[in-house]
Amino acid sequence: MSNIAIHPQTHAIGGPDTVRSPESWMQVRGLTKSFAGERALSGADLDLKRGEVHGLVGANGAGKSTLIRCLAGITHADDGTITIDGANLKQGSPKASEQAGLAFIHQELNLIQHFSALQNMLLGVPKKTRFGLIDWKRSGIRARQAAERIGIAFPLETRVSELSVADRWLIMIGKALMRDASMIAMDEPTASLSGPESERLFSIIRDLSASGVAILYVSHRLEEVLDLCDRITVLRDGRIVDHADRGHLDKKGLVRAIIGHDIKSEKDREHFAADRSSTPIFSARDVAWRDAVKGVSLDVYPGEVLALGGLVGAGRTEFAHLVAGVQRQDRGYFELGGQRVRIPDEATAVNLGIALVPEERRSEGLMLEQSVGYNINIASLRNLRAFAGLPFISGSKGRRQAEALVEKLRIKTPHITTRIASLSGGNQQKALIARWLGTGVKLLILDEPSRGVDVGAREEIHNAIRDLARAGVGIIVISSDVEELAILTDRVLVMREGRLSGELNGTDITENNIIELSYHDAEGGQGDTQ
Amino acid sequence: MTASGEMGNHKTSRTRQIDWRRLGLLFLSRYGTIFGLVMMIIIFSVMAPTTFPSRANLLNILSQASLTAIIASGLTYTLVVGEFDLSIGYVASFIGLIVVGLMSYQGFPIWLSIICSLAIGIGLGLINGTLVTKIRINAVIATLGLGTMLTGIGYSYSAFPIATGIPREFTSIALTRQFGVPNPVFFMAGILLILWIILNKTDIGQKMQAVGSNIEAARLSGIRVDRIKMFAFATAGFCSAITGTLLSSLLGSGTLGVGDGYLLDAFAAVFLGSATLREGEFHIVGTLIGVLILAVGFNGLALLGAPTHFQPIFKGGILILAVGMSTLARRYAASH
Repeated sequence: MSNIAIHPQTHAIGGPDTVRSPESWMQVRGLTKSFAGERALSGADLDLKRGEVHGLVGANGAGKSTLIRCLAGITHADDGTITIDGANLKQGSPKASEQAGLAFIHQELNLIQHFSALQNMLLGVPKKTRFGLIDWKRSGIRARQAAERIGIAFPLETRVSELSVADRWLIMIGKALMRDASMIAMDEPTASLSGPESERLFSIIRDLSASGVAILYVSHRLEEVLDLCDRITVLRDGRIVDHADRGHLDKKGLVRAIIGHDIKSEKDREHFAADRSSTPIFSARDVAWRDAVKGVSLDVYPGEVLALGGLVGAGRTEFAHLVAGVQRQDRGYFELGGQRVRIPDEATAVNLGIALVPEERRSEGLMLEQSVGYNINIASLRNLRAFAGLPFISGSKGRRQAEALVEKLRIKTPHITTRIASLSGGNQQKALIARWLGTGVKLLILDEPSRGVDVGAREEIHNAIRDLARAGVGIIVISSDVEELAILTDRVLVMREGRLSGELNGTDITENNIIELSYHDAEGGQGDTQ
Repeated sequence: MTASGEMGNHKTSRTRQIDWRRLGLLFLSRYGTIFGLVMMIIIFSVMAPTTFPSRANLLNILSQASLTAIIASGLTYTLVVGEFDLSIGYVASFIGLIVVGLMSYQGFPIWLSIICSLAIGIGLGLINGTLVTKIRINAVIATLGLGTMLTGIGYSYSAFPIATGIPREFTSIALTRQFGVPNPVFFMAGILLILWIILNKTDIGQKMQAVGSNIEAARLSGIRVDRIKMFAFATAGFCSAITGTLLSSLLGSGTLGVGDGYLLDAFAAVFLGSATLREGEFHIVGTLIGVLILAVGFNGLALLGAPTHFQPIFKGGILILAVGMSTLARRYAASH
């Protein structure tokens, strides 16, 4: 099926003839939308049958969100129609979309933290009252039915802030079901879920599909999409470039359809067999913090890309926070270039040459209303002084540094004075990496560097990481994307429940081995690195 | 065919509409305040042609504006780092009292009184900063609390206005003119220039903006966030102290509560300023323009014989308008 991208019209059932079949419950025809002269969506068609799981994939900026926003009634398309069950959907009205049976679950999960699950599910629904007061018991009947249908085990009176991300997804699904949704669009549902949690979500999706609820599944995780979806639609540059039934696409074909060309195969990757006879650039010894990190020891060598694998909640992010000075460890110590160092706060870490590119890009990494250049330069102001010793910033030095780094990392931006908020996620991430290139960083920790980033940008982020390693920087990459770990590094330490459960080298780095270690310790207990 | 033609027409007219709205918003969010200022000057010049545009009156406006501009610039710093300072007016009143009290009661020489007063102003700012960064009290509460306490402390220091024992040299600080321009205008120019340079051309200014934009990101970038905030609060305290000192010099006495009213003026000016030239960011040039709008407005209304009770209506209305425009500007920026 490798020729799919080239001849999208000719293959299988996804062709235009069957597209117009009457069994489609929702038909989108020729949807077009421009923002400030730029086409976000041009002539997109989409068909959704009752109860099908339909994958929607594409790079960032391919038009997925615009399509979803048009369906949700948040955006009014310039052109095109949406027909549901034979009736024309009034565009630009969230209310009309909801009444037509469309429900949307965005990654941010619009839940009110200090409300209970039940209160959240009942938001906007007329409630039963008794003497003018809300009768939660009677109002909640339908919510409880919905909860039962998807197997919510926790009491609905639980506050949302006390629930895990997985449970919050269940609330959102229950909320959609309560409103008699015939289609639920899910945006990157597994981005913050662990393996078992994702599996549970998939089985719920399959149940919903069997009972006639269609799912529009938007994700960058292609294996999931291939595994779960009955049909897949691929968007590129605002156009539908491919659609295929289950079994008619493989991952390679899908990637090609998404980015328009092949990516480097795994075999071509460069290995970073760092010289481990030298002094480690960074070491941790028996570091512990609260319940999350229980005695971690590891060494990172100059020029090494070391990966920390494991499940969400295994203590990897917490460990990174200890190294970067966000939290202080309860026990153990760190060494930098063989010297014992204390890292009481972030500023000390940065001064020592330890930097963290955080998982939460928007809330912890970016200064969104500032320019690209500002975001790149903010950590290296000392090097940008007009006169050494005086605190005045040289505008030209700043411009030169930012422009050089934009070019080096191939950050796609009209100008360094462009607001960083207007860049795509992948380019924002590259700018955050660029921030540390000007600082003489010795150890760079990247927490989920390619989360929510499309395949093409991921490749470029990986190249940037490799470049840094080549320059002698020690790198720790935290990733839940097992495939990413295998591509990027030649040594993986797997964390499980706050401890290192094992080490994998070279060809041992396989999905199976990483997953195995994520659930069980290696032979002989904690796998130390020495 | 006709149908598709119609659709095409419809589409172009729609895009044109959206563009107008966007342009209008852009204009309003960047130049609306400047446009308003120019309009006010034109209107007042036409309606009061002999009094308003005279040299004497324009200097009067500048002189009036200078004290507000100094205190509002200090407030700008705290807003840049994402905090608040509601104590500025109270600090100005308190320092205004202390500075003459030191001369009159303690018999300090003028220079020592002023240095002590400015030091106390900075110290009060540092107390605000400590309450906010170390103890993590919400800035609104901390600064309001400290400001209220200062009113009481001022009262216990001197329950009556201090009008005797003030050297003539002290009152001449604010009353003298150079080349016909009142001294406070030069103070304003100097202080605003320094504050502008610090905010835009130095490490610490860049860091202040980073802290205000995203405090977590600033921390992870190695910025000592607490120190930066302390600096902003100290600057606000210093500027309030300068305003208080100049105020007492201007009045020739130390009176309880004279500077309290600056709080609202400063806030209105700073928020007007944040909707000037930039989309909802606080900055010194904007603050200056905000102050000028207020000063021109008050002055013009007075010259036109508007009743005094019209002043608070104007002031409150401007504050709401300013915050509204600033919010709109920020929303516009966020959508781009």
